[in-house]
Amino acid sequence: MPTGKNSRSKKTAETSSTAQQPSAEALASLNIKDTSSNPPADLKERDATLIKELYEGVIKARAFEDRMHAMYRSGDLLGSYYSGNWHEAISVGMIAAMTPDDYLCPLHRDVGAHLWRGMPPEQIMGSFMGKSIAPTGGRDGTLHYGRLDLNTYNPPSHIPANFPVSIGMAFAAKYRGEDRISMAICGDGSTSRADFHESVNMAAAMGLPCVFLIQNNQYAYSTPLKMQSASSSFAIKAVAYGIPGTKCDGTDVVAVYDAVKEAVDHARAGKGPFIIEAVTMRMHGHAEHDPADYVPKEMFEEWSKKDPVELIEKRVLEAGVLSEDEVKEIREAARQWAIDARKIALQAEFPDPSDIEEGIYAD
Amino acid sequence: MSNDANKYTYLDAVGIGLDSEMDADPNVFLIGEDVGQFGGAFKVTKGFLDKFGPRRVVDTPIAETGLAGLAAGASLVGLRPVVEFQFADFISCAFDPIINVMSRHHWRTGDAMPVTMRAPFGARLRAGPTHSQSVEAFFAHVPGIKIVMPGRAEDVAGLLISCIRDNNPTLFLENKYLYRRLSAEGTPSLEPIPLGKANVVREGSDVTLITYSAGVSQGMEIADELAAEGVSVEVIDLRTVVPMDIETVIESVKKTSKAVVLHEDTVHLGMGAEIASQIQEKAFWYLDQPVTRIGALNTPIPTSPTLEDAVIPQPEQIADTLRKVARS
Repeated sequence: MPTGKNSRSKKTAETSSTAQQPSAEALASLNIKDTSSNPPADLKERDATLIKELYEGVIKARAFEDRMHAMYRSGDLLGSYYSGNWHEAISVGMIAAMTPDDYLCPLHRDVGAHLWRGMPPEQIMGSFMGKSIAPTGGRDGTLHYGRLDLNTYNPPSHIPANFPVSIGMAFAAKYRGEDRISMAICGDGSTSRADFHESVNMAAAMGLPCVFLIQNNQYAYSTPLKMQSASSSFAIKAVAYGIPGTKCDGTDVVAVYDAVKEAVDHARAGKGPFIIEAVTMRMHGHAEHDPADYVPKEMFEEWSKKDPVELIEKRVLEAGVLSEDEVKEIREAARQWAIDARKIALQAEFPDPSDIEEGIYAD
Repeated sequence: MSNDANKYTYLDAVGIGLDSEMDADPNVFLIGEDVGQFGGAFKVTKGFLDKFGPRRVVDTPIAETGLAGLAAGASLVGLRPVVEFQFADFISCAFDPIINVMSRHHWRTGDAMPVTMRAPFGARLRAGPTHSQSVEAFFAHVPGIKIVMPGRAEDVAGLLISCIRDNNPTLFLENKYLYRRLSAEGTPSLEPIPLGKANVVREGSDVTLITYSAGVSQGMEIADELAAEGVSVEVIDLRTVVPMDIETVIESVKKTSKAVVLHEDTVHLGMGAEIASQIQEKAFWYLDQPVTRIGALNTPIPTSPTLEDAVIPQPEQIADTLRKVARS
């Protein structure tokens, strides 16, 4: 028998020191940028079509989720709903900087991106209701609705299991010499897991065209940032992998678009991966059943002033890109569109269990 | 290749099968640790980097989760990765993507992930607890992973080729004790051997020995020995552990009325548990006695020879068991 004795001295927990943020110059020399304090772009100097599309995108995302929240409250859904409130600028800004051929490996607060790519809203609703119109036919549910024909991966619930898959898609694009990149999304919590490290490290070492977008929304379920990591930012982690990183304001859809566009162009040009950190706040709980009592009220109050939808609407009106009437029309059309989708989802059938054992194997 | 130009080893056959599929299908690529520059820890892929280049023979950092997930993602969009895990014991580092990304992807989405994962496994090399494990039972438990374990040098290439052409995540487990100890004449057939089909490698009438991988050559040797004593052993090589060809097993048991399952994995919750259970469900009234399972003790695999030999099934133990069952 081995003789080892397990002796552990009792140590009191030591609090970690607060991480110092290096100077902007020091960061710039390491290819780390922080644009989150930059003044917002002047929309008058931007392509009006793009700005209108970004605006419509966030309006639809918000309208869709307003409907989902109502459906949760009325008991239409099988279980909970993972709100993307305050994440609309990130999902829409990000997808607008990509092409339809680019691979998207989402997580659970990216509905704006799915809708942009043409995912019918009733299919997403069906996924939360266990209906056969869900992309998985009801075999999977909630956020598991990504469609490969839309170049979108359907992840499991393990976060961020989509990261290694995303670098695999990037690998395939590079292998075949295609003009394609892959986008992997995760939250602040995911950065603690092995999948994050192995994927970013490997993509960097192998020079794969994969962009990693971290949605820093301050909380991972009930775990606040300071308990998740001692790092001064998530973008700065790019230094460890030898790649660039940009931190941007996740409530500004144009700022997100600009940051992601730079990263996507970089990857597309064969220069390897990039980390984007987009900062926002998770205004709802982890899911709708979670009252998020662990979030200080002051934090909710502070962030309530930074609604990405209100922010872009104000700027769009101020810059004259859209008139008040046009804005009203877009909002009303989106509201009706979501209501119509709900009707379809409610009327959809539940799946037939008779073929449940089929499809374990592909032919 | 082995020194004798008219022979090939079990190990050679792995390389020959890989080479053949790399030639045949430009979407096939190899990925793993030390597979390119070093030619693989056991030299299975020696020369491949020179022949196929770094685009198709990919050396990775030490990151099993990352590289298994990479293979899954690449396979989803049309490539056919062949992943090498340096030892089967390290496949557990990739448990997350294998179970949570690969195993159920087709069932829940209709999209295939044709990933072949190969690794050397097995004991008797005094390599200790983390270089000797049998891992098939972990992955056999999850619907969606095919598991192939060749027991004869002649079958290695044909089974590997079938795995690579199969559109499912497939685990190809090579017994490393057999790498250089099993060989066959000539060159291996490159005809794909169908998965899910067992092979009756020796016909007999007194007792059915159901086995795979190392148990096949062990069983055949012992069957010869017992034949001289008048005991006739029918040896079934499962070849594919999942999905298992239980029909061939049942047919044999109905003939002999006596079943012994042999594998190197622990008796406790090894594949024999499932096989024995299915035999008694499907052929209870044909059995003269309960199904006997031979496997390892329920311990980790020790390093020292005296200890390892006490844990892993030994030839004398296998012969005695077959003798006793046949004669009872």
